Amino acid sequence: MDEPECDDVLDDWFIESLKTYKDLYVYQLECPTKVIEWTSGRTVCVAGYGSSKNEILELRLPPKLFANENKGLCAERDFKVVHGGFTDGPVHCLKHVPGTRCVVSNDGRSSELQVWELGGEDSDVIRRTGSVAGRSVVSEGGSRIAARLSSQPQVLHGARSGDVQLTELTSGQPLYKLETDSADPLSSLQFVTDAVFLACCCNGNVYIADTRTAAAPQLSPPPVSSGESVLWWTDASSGSSCLDPTSCRIVRLSSSGQAVISDLRNQREAASQAQLDVQSHHCNLDDVTVSWAPALDGCIAVSGFSGAVQIYNTSVWRTELQEAQPLFQHRGHTVSSQPDDGVFVTSHVWHPERPRTLLSAASDGSVHVWDWVDQSAGS
Amino acid sequence: MPEIKVTPLGAGQDVGRSCILVSIGGKNIMLDCGMHMGFNDDRRFPDFSYITQNGRLTEFLDCVIISHFHLDHCGALPFMSEMVGYDGPIYMTHPTKAICPILLEDFRKITVDKKGETNFFTSQMIKDCMKKVVPLNLHQTVQVDDELEIKAYYAGHVLGAAMVHIKVGSESVVYTGDYNMTPDRHLGAAWIDKCRPDMLISESTYATTIRDSKRCRERDFLKKVHESIERGGKVLIPVFALGRAQELCILLETFWERMNLKAPIYFSTGLTEKANHYYKLFITWTNQKIRKTFVQRNMFEFKHIKPFDRSYADNPGPMVVFATPGMLHAGQSLQIFKKWAGNEKNMVIMPGYCVQGTIGHKILNGQRKLEMEGRATLDVKLQVEYMSFSAHADAKGIMQLIRMAEPRNMLLVHGEAAKMEFLKGKIEQEFSIDCYMPANGETTTVTTNPSVPVDISLNLLKREMALGGPLPDPKKPRAMHGTLIMKENSLKLVSSEQALKELGLNEHQLRFTCRVQLQDPHSDNDTLHRIYTHLKSVLKGYTIQHLPDGTVMVESIVIKVSSSAEDANTKVLLLSWIYESVYRSLRVWQPPTLDIFLR
Repeated sequence: MDEPECDDVLDDWFIESLKTYKDLYVYQLECPTKVIEWTSGRTVCVAGYGSSKNEILELRLPPKLFANENKGLCAERDFKVVHGGFTDGPVHCLKHVPGTRCVVSNDGRSSELQVWELGGEDSDVIRRTGSVAGRSVVSEGGSRIAARLSSQPQVLHGARSGDVQLTELTSGQPLYKLETDSADPLSSLQFVTDAVFLACCCNGNVYIADTRTAAAPQLSPPPVSSGESVLWWTDASSGSSCLDPTSCRIVRLSSSGQAVISDLRNQREAASQAQLDVQSHHCNLDDVTVSWAPALDGCIAVSGFSGAVQIYNTSVWRTELQEAQPLFQHRGHTVSSQPDDGVFVTSHVWHPERPRTLLSAASDGSVHVWDWVDQSAGS
Repeated sequence: MPEIKVTPLGAGQDVGRSCILVSIGGKNIMLDCGMHMGFNDDRRFPDFSYITQNGRLTEFLDCVIISHFHLDHCGALPFMSEMVGYDGPIYMTHPTKAICPILLEDFRKITVDKKGETNFFTSQMIKDCMKKVVPLNLHQTVQVDDELEIKAYYAGHVLGAAMVHIKVGSESVVYTGDYNMTPDRHLGAAWIDKCRPDMLISESTYATTIRDSKRCRERDFLKKVHESIERGGKVLIPVFALGRAQELCILLETFWERMNLKAPIYFSTGLTEKANHYYKLFITWTNQKIRKTFVQRNMFEFKHIKPFDRSYADNPGPMVVFATPGMLHAGQSLQIFKKWAGNEKNMVIMPGYCVQGTIGHKILNGQRKLEMEGRATLDVKLQVEYMSFSAHADAKGIMQLIRMAEPRNMLLVHGEAAKMEFLKGKIEQEFSIDCYMPANGETTTVTTNPSVPVDISLNLLKREMALGGPLPDPKKPRAMHGTLIMKENSLKLVSSEQALKELGLNEHQLRFTCRVQLQDPHSDNDTLHRIYTHLKSVLKGYTIQHLPDGTVMVESIVIKVSSSAEDANTKVLLLSWIYESVYRSLRVWQPPTLDIFLR
C-alpha cells in the first residue's frame, strides 16, 4: 500500500500522538472483525464477519506492552497468532466462558450458538465442539450472549427479551428462562453478579432479572429522549466487582448521542446525563458500543458512530442535559484510511487492569492497541 | 515419478540458522549457510554430515546460493567452503557480495579476538571464500550448468536480499530467504511473477505473527529521541548499514523541521566513508520509484545533520549521534558510549541484532555493569532502547506471496509443526496445495508431475484427426499410434513410416498364420461360404468380405479353406493376420465354437 497520499495527515496525527499516547500499536488483519474478546490478561479473540467462511483468531498482545521495568529492552511489538480456526459463517457476537478455554459465538442471522475450544499448548487449532440451540428460531438480528461469571460453564443468550435463556454448556440443558410477554430485540445481555443479569433492549427497555428466582423481571424503561425511534445501547459497570448489585451504575446511550447514567437500585431517576458529540458519519449503527472503564472510575468509552473511539468522564456530568466533550478521542482508524472510505469502528474493549489501555477494531480490518495520556490530569 | 527433496540442515528445532538442502532433477543445491547466533559450540554451524560424513562437499553440491548478508544466512559460509571444503560456485547478488565479507570479518574479529575462540575461520578464509562468489543480477537467468538455471528476484528486507528461482528441466523451486510484502521506506516490497514453482520454500519464523505497522515503530523511535533531548540528554544510535542509517536520518530531519528543534544531530565520519561506497550499490539495487524519492535527498546533505567530530562528544547539552560500528564492539560508537554511559539522562538506541560478545549484546540483555579493558568497570546508567526496524513478512505476507507465485506445494522451515497447524490448514484450504513443515534434519519428498512437451508432426496429427472421434483434450486423453524420437534436446512424435524413413530402416510386417481343422463334408467353396455367412451374422460392425480369389477377409484377417490330402471331409482353415491388426479390438474366435456350429 502506498504511503504518499496519506503521508501528511499521518505525519501530523502521528507527531501529535507522541504526546497524546504513551503506547500505540497499529495492526492490519486480513479481514475486519466486529468482536474483540479477552480470553486471558494477554490474549484476545477476534473473528471475521464475511458472509461465508471466516477465520477466528486468538491473538497474544505484544510483550512490549506489558514489559514494565525493562520495557526498553523488549523490541517485540507484534501480535502473535496463538490459535486459529475457521467458521462457516459470520461472527457477530463472541464471548469467552471464564475459567475455560471455551468461547461461544453467534452469526447474527439465527439464534443458534457455536461452541469452540481454543486449544492449549499442543495445538494451535481452534475447533468447533458443538452448538447450543436458541429458545426460539429467529431469522434476523442474531443472539446476544453473556457468559456466567462463576466457574460453571453456562451461557445466557437470546435475540429478544422473550427468548432469553441460560444454558449449561456441557449438557445443553436450559437452566433458566426469562419469563416476559414482551419480544423486544436485544442490544446486549450482561451479568452484573453471578446470578443477576440485565437484558438490554434496542428500544431502551432494560430488564433486570435473577436466575435464582422464577419471579418476573424488573423493567426499567428508557429515559425520556428527544428523537423518535431512537435506538439504545447499555452497559453496567463491572459485574464481578459489584458485590452489591444495587450499587451498580448503568449507562445508556441513544443513537442521537444522549447518554444517561443511573443507579441500578433507582433507575427512574437519571443520576446524570449528557449530550455527546458523537459526530455520527454513517447511518448503519449496528456496531455501537458503550463501555465503562474497569479501572478508571467514572470513565466510559463510546464507538461505532464514526471512525473514532471517544472517552468521556461521566463524573463531571450533571442531572440536567448538557453537552459534553470527550476527555480523549482516538482517531487513528480514520487517519490511517482514505477519506472517502467511510471507515467506522466496529468494536472496542478496555484492558481489564491497565487503566488507560484499549483495543479497537474498524471496518477496514485495522486493530489498534493504545494507551492514552490524560492531558487534563494535574489540572 | 520425479521427486524434489528438501532438508533443513542443523540440529535443534529453533530459529537462528538457515541452511537448506534441495535435491531437484538430480542436482543438489544449498540454500543459505547461516550461523546460529545463540550457540558457542558446533551447534552454531549447520550439520553438513547429512551431505557427506567426511570429506569435501564439492562433488555433492552443484551450487550454493546465499539470499542476503545477515549472519544467520551467511555466517557459516567461510566455515563451509574453507574448513569443510567446497570449491564450486557460490551465488549471491552484488550488494550481498560487497557487504557479506565486511560483516563476516567483523563477526570473526569479535568471536576470535574478543572471545578467544579457536575453531573459527580466518580472515584469509573469508577472502578465499568470496573468490568463489558469482554475482547475480535481478531477473537475469543464470545457467549454473547445462541443466540447472537460477534467477534472483527482489525480496525487500535488506539491501541486496533476493528470493531465488531454481529450475531443472520443467521442475522448479523458489526459495524466499527473508522478505517483506509491505513496502519499506527505502526498500520496497518483494515481487515475483506467476512462475508456478513445484515448491515454494519459506521461513515460518514470522508466519504466525501480525506485524505492528512501520509508522508505530518510527513513532516509538521519535518519541524516545524527543524525550531524551527534552531532558537535556544525549542519544547515541550505533548503525551499520547505509539504508537503515539514512532512513532514520530522514525521519529525524523531518521531525526536527516540524518541531523546530535546535539540538544538533551528527553522523560519524566512519559512516560517511562507508556511505559513499554503499551508495553506488544502493542506487542500482532499488527500484525506480524509490530511487527517485530517495536519491533526491543526496545522502547526508541534510539541513540539521552534520558530520561528527570526536571532540563534540564532550559538548554540553542535548545531541543525537549516528556512529559505527553497529554493535558497539569497537571504534567510534564504543568511544562515545563509554563517555555517555554514566549519565541517566542519556540514551542509546540499538536498531538491530547484536552478536554475542559485543557490548551491544550485553546491554540488551540488561547488563548494567560492564568490564572494560584494564579491569575498569563501566556503570551503565543511560537508558537502553532496543528497536527492531527490519522488515519481515507476517501471516498475511505469506499468503500474498503464495498468491503471487502460485506454487504447487508449500514448505515452511524453522517452525514447530504443532504451532503451525492453523497456518498449514489455511494454506491448504485457500490454495488447495499441500503444505509441509519438516524439522531440522528431516527430509520432505514431494513428487512432481512435470509435463513433458513433445512436438507432433502435422501428418500424424492430420491422420489421427481423420480417424474421427472427439478431439483430444486434457480431460479426455485418447490413445494414438506413433513413434517417439528423442534427438538432441527435443522430443518428436511422428508416424511410424516417417520414423523408419528418418532412421533409414525398412518396414517389416509380421504375419501370423494358424491352421484350424474342421470336419465338414461340403466342398471347399461351400465351407468357405458357410463360414462367411456365419461370421457376417456374429461379427456385426466389422468389414467382412468374400473375395473372388476364394478367401474370406475379416478386416485384415485372411481365411482360406482347403481339404486335407488324406481325408476329403477334413477341412483345413488357414487363418492369417498381420501383428498390428490384432490390436484393432477384433477377437480371434476359438476353433471349437466354429466346430460346433458346423456340425
